Amino acid sequence: MTGRDSVDPAAAHSHPVAQLDGVTKQYRSGDEVIDALATVDFAVEPGEMVAVIGPSGSGKSTLLNVLGLLDVPTSGTVRLDGDDVTDYDDEKRTMARRRTIGFVFQSFHLVPMLTATENVLVPTMFVRGNQRDRAKDLLRRMGLGDRLEHRPNQLSGGQRQRVAIARALVNEPRLVLADEPTGNLDQDTGRQILEEFERISTEREVGVVAVTHDDLVTEFTDRTVELIDGVVQ
Amino acid sequence: MIPIDPLDVPALRMAWLNLWRNRLRTGLATLGVVIGVVAIAAIGITGTAIQTGATQQLGDLSNTVTVFPGEDNADGRITESTVNAIERAATGATVVPQRSEALTISSRSESRRVTVEATARPVALYSASEGTIPSPMRSGVLLSEQMAMELGVSLGQTVSVDGRSYRVVAILEPSGGFGPGGVSVVLPLDAIDRDGYDQVTVVATDGEDAQRLADVIPAEVNQREEVVDTFTPADIQQSISGFFATLNAALLGVGSISLVVAGVSILNVMLMSVVERRAEIGVFRAVGIRRREVMRMIIAEAALLGVVGGLIGVALSIVIGYMVNAQLLGDPMLVFATRNLQFLGLGFGFAVLASTLSGIYPAWKASTANPVEVLRG
Repeated sequence: MTGRDSVDPAAAHSHPVAQLDGVTKQYRSGDEVIDALATVDFAVEPGEMVAVIGPSGSGKSTLLNVLGLLDVPTSGTVRLDGDDVTDYDDEKRTMARRRTIGFVFQSFHLVPMLTATENVLVPTMFVRGNQRDRAKDLLRRMGLGDRLEHRPNQLSGGQRQRVAIARALVNEPRLVLADEPTGNLDQDTGRQILEEFERISTEREVGVVAVTHDDLVTEFTDRTVELIDGVVQ
Repeated sequence: MIPIDPLDVPALRMAWLNLWRNRLRTGLATLGVVIGVVAIAAIGITGTAIQTGATQQLGDLSNTVTVFPGEDNADGRITESTVNAIERAATGATVVPQRSEALTISSRSESRRVTVEATARPVALYSASEGTIPSPMRSGVLLSEQMAMELGVSLGQTVSVDGRSYRVVAILEPSGGFGPGGVSVVLPLDAIDRDGYDQVTVVATDGEDAQRLADVIPAEVNQREEVVDTFTPADIQQSISGFFATLNAALLGVGSISLVVAGVSILNVMLMSVVERRAEIGVFRAVGIRRREVMRMIIAEAALLGVVGGLIGVALSIVIGYMVNAQLLGDPMLVFATRNLQFLGLGFGFAVLASTLSGIYPAWKASTANPVEVLRG
């Protein structure tokens, strides 16, 4: 990357890391059909950090699921790193997640009996090649160099979320999706975690999408998208 | 904790950790497998030991055929010409005609009325613990240890039978089981002075040959009338073998059922643990672990239960077999006989198979964990 103007990553890449074109997701609830997402257009550029806000039930989570290839839209097109992945089957979507997407969850979801390093390695478990050094390196950069062999119950909330972020980065993703990443953290810790996300997106040219209630998050993002009743405002 | 690099055998490492996480539950499920393996292997080994013990008792005599007067034999004697016919029928085997009669045998101090046996070739039937058995036997007497003790005589001394004196030339080795082993006094043939014989013992090369001769001799010797009939301990031995084979099959059936039950309990345990770990498995799926990789982890877990339970069961069965063989046969190392190793292998193999099969449904169930539910949580 020549990166003459790294503030505008779109100039360096020809296409967004993730893109939704006219995506609709309907849920059937009894006789009613609910539009969780209604003809949503959305894109994340590499190096960009986007916050998705909105009240409960506004479709934020559905948006994240569709972006993360965990759910398929009822209509519309999903692109990941330029590829149309709308019609991928479960196996292909899993492999796409493994290659290009990192997830950070509100309640961290670390495996209790694995050490911090092993937790970071989970996404690479069935991938050939030893990623252990890379995992340790990621943890060190997250400031957890002295916690490599600790188990989740020996770590604070902020430390656990850092482990989770390192896990999201171990496969060198193009897109990191965070679901309420500060939801279980106090204000100061949340701020530190958001700084990590900000650093990741700029340093690694990774697109970050964070779904949140937390106004703090929007302070760190390049852009904020508000969803109400499945419609982008 | 076993230091396995999670990248080397990830499914196995995760399986081990997950089993370790619920130690009590794992232990109980393993116990079921252990009981199943012991039921198969230890019972099989014990059965083999009992059978070997029973066969050993018969072993010495199982190659003999006793020929005795048949139903149509009016005077209850086997004539010289019949003996010749038997010899023709049983080529290659040793034919030993015998007479027996109740006579009084006395030493200087004691006197007993017993059935004595008279034969020219006792060496084919008996072995001596003291002295030597003359062949052919023309003089002297052979006494069982018991009889020598009762009469208070030892090797080289004389006893009298029906007024005639005989020197004790050998003391017989006691032989267990059926047939001629129960004899207490053996005399030369002319000690019982009459025509014909009471029975003829045919010594074949082995049990199979004995069984064949037991059929061939009456067929050859009896023309129209049943002059002779036969009996061979080999028949008994065969029915004992058959009995044990049936018994073993039945016990193995019971053992197999207990392993199936153990499999069901593994199924139950794995289903519970998979349901509990649904969120965790959902995270695995979200971060890019494929369905079949999730299945591999869960099946590895079930198989590991089987392997651990199987190994413990095999170890316990060897200990049990060691003690049983020491008690019954006096040789504990017989537990490692080929047949017993087969039982151990069978128990272990069945344990691993039953456990692995039990893991398939829970594994499939786990692989359907929906990562979306995790994000919603």
